[in-house]
Amino acid sequence: MSLKVLTWQEASAAALWLAAVAGVFCLDLQLPDPARAALWVVLAVGLPIVLRRFWSWLLGPLFVYDLVRTARRNRLIPVRLLYALLMLLIISVTYSRWFGFNWSDGGQFFEPPVILGLTMPGLIWAVLMIMFFGLNETSAYAAVAITIMPMLAISIWQGTKSIDKDLVDMSKIFHASPWSKVIDVILPQLISHILAAIRYGLGLAWKVVVVVEMFGLSNGVGYQVVRGFNVFSMKAVLAWAISFLVVMIIIEFGIIGWLERAVTRWRPRVEAWRR
Amino acid sequence: MAYVRVDSAVKYFAREAGDDMLVLGKVSFDAKENGMTCLLGPSGCGKSTLLNVISGLEALDQGRVEIVSHQSDGSHVPRIGYVFQDPRLLNWKRVEGNMTFALKGMRVPESQWEGRIREYLTLVDLIEFRQQYPLYLSGGMRQRVGLARALVIEPEVLLMDEPFSKLDQLTARKLREDTLSICARLKQTTLLVTHDVEEGALMGDRIIVFSARPARVIEIIDNPLDPSQRDLDDHGFIEFKKKLLKLVLQTAS
Repeated sequence: MSLKVLTWQEASAAALWLAAVAGVFCLDLQLPDPARAALWVVLAVGLPIVLRRFWSWLLGPLFVYDLVRTARRNRLIPVRLLYALLMLLIISVTYSRWFGFNWSDGGQFFEPPVILGLTMPGLIWAVLMIMFFGLNETSAYAAVAITIMPMLAISIWQGTKSIDKDLVDMSKIFHASPWSKVIDVILPQLISHILAAIRYGLGLAWKVVVVVEMFGLSNGVGYQVVRGFNVFSMKAVLAWAISFLVVMIIIEFGIIGWLERAVTRWRPRVEAWRR
Repeated sequence: MAYVRVDSAVKYFAREAGDDMLVLGKVSFDAKENGMTCLLGPSGCGKSTLLNVISGLEALDQGRVEIVSHQSDGSHVPRIGYVFQDPRLLNWKRVEGNMTFALKGMRVPESQWEGRIREYLTLVDLIEFRQQYPLYLSGGMRQRVGLARALVIEPEVLLMDEPFSKLDQLTARKLREDTLSICARLKQTTLLVTHDVEEGALMGDRIIVFSARPARVIEIIDNPLDPSQRDLDDHGFIEFKKKLLKLVLQTAS
């Protein structure tokens, strides 16, 4: 493996390619067809070049090992997310006297800790948790949990505000059981908020984990990026950044995208604004 | 079957200023048994509140609502079907899923579900759309699903809150005729809230005319025409409609 510093041509090619990837995946819907086609061409042409440049990093056993480490730290997060969501739902629902819809009270109850939590940067939590728990996995988990909780709380809380009281009345008329009220009436109205929360939460969780790895751990993507920086290899840093991107794309478009399509099949697709 | 009697119903709405607003001022009437009773009155007079009281969603401050089913000993709570102004469907459930939601809530044995869904969706002419999601249906069709959902539990009392008011004129007219013939066939005690005089004259076997808020009963009129005789162009019908309109206009002024 060469540790030579990246040439400017290589760096700009990689930057262009990254910009194209970002363009295709983030702006896809708003672009006219020719621009989108051009981006896909850049992407397709750039991919083998980038892969050839970085293949030793991307395909080396080291990469797989570190990526798996980072992913394993994140493995529990979806479960934790769901658990946190469930707890939040139960707390907020109980607090508001079982669908009494005094969510404004809930707001007063939740607001100060949530706003404080949102203000505190994830970086500070990461540092604090390493100081609390030492250089181990627990600090990664703890930092992730603390950083994403306020964000989850605020999205779910916003979601509960948009619950349609008319539908709840309807379910009362037909004597729906409390279970059926939650599963058939309340949760489907919250699902887009829950999905958004999972999305942001996951993105935030990865970032925090990487920061913890940079500071305190001796494996994982964060550690590898710091190592790349220490030997001043832009190649290494970019390669790890791309690996990160790839994993996020898989999660976003593969898993969450699939989940979203599955739970919003009932909604007609809005196509009008595409053209 | 069941009868519905409202006896000196009084209801206030609490306001932030502290002075409570009277919505129902001693309302008393008997609904026509096994027929259609129209609650006719100006917009915002409290008719919908009355329907919510009858359905059990809201409580009265004074007076009472009696719903007695002849089929049973009185321990049994009468089944109430409700058709709302907006269809109020669960958009994330297919048409048949919305039926199932009502059947499940009313504890109808699961063995009867399939037969009932088929029967009532056929009745409202939507049987080929049972697998469709509501948002893919037109407004009129969604309202039909709402009607089928209320009927599928085989209610003893059917409540309808201006179910045609948000539809275009042609759709509303067709749906009105269909509802009339369905109700004439099923013969539940039905209460229909409306502010439309023509609708009242067309649908109601008995018409209760309400004043503007607070709602008081101005007059109770039994429709002289048999449901089959009610034709929008018929002379007798037009005369009856005029009479009703006069009453309603008096109350509004």
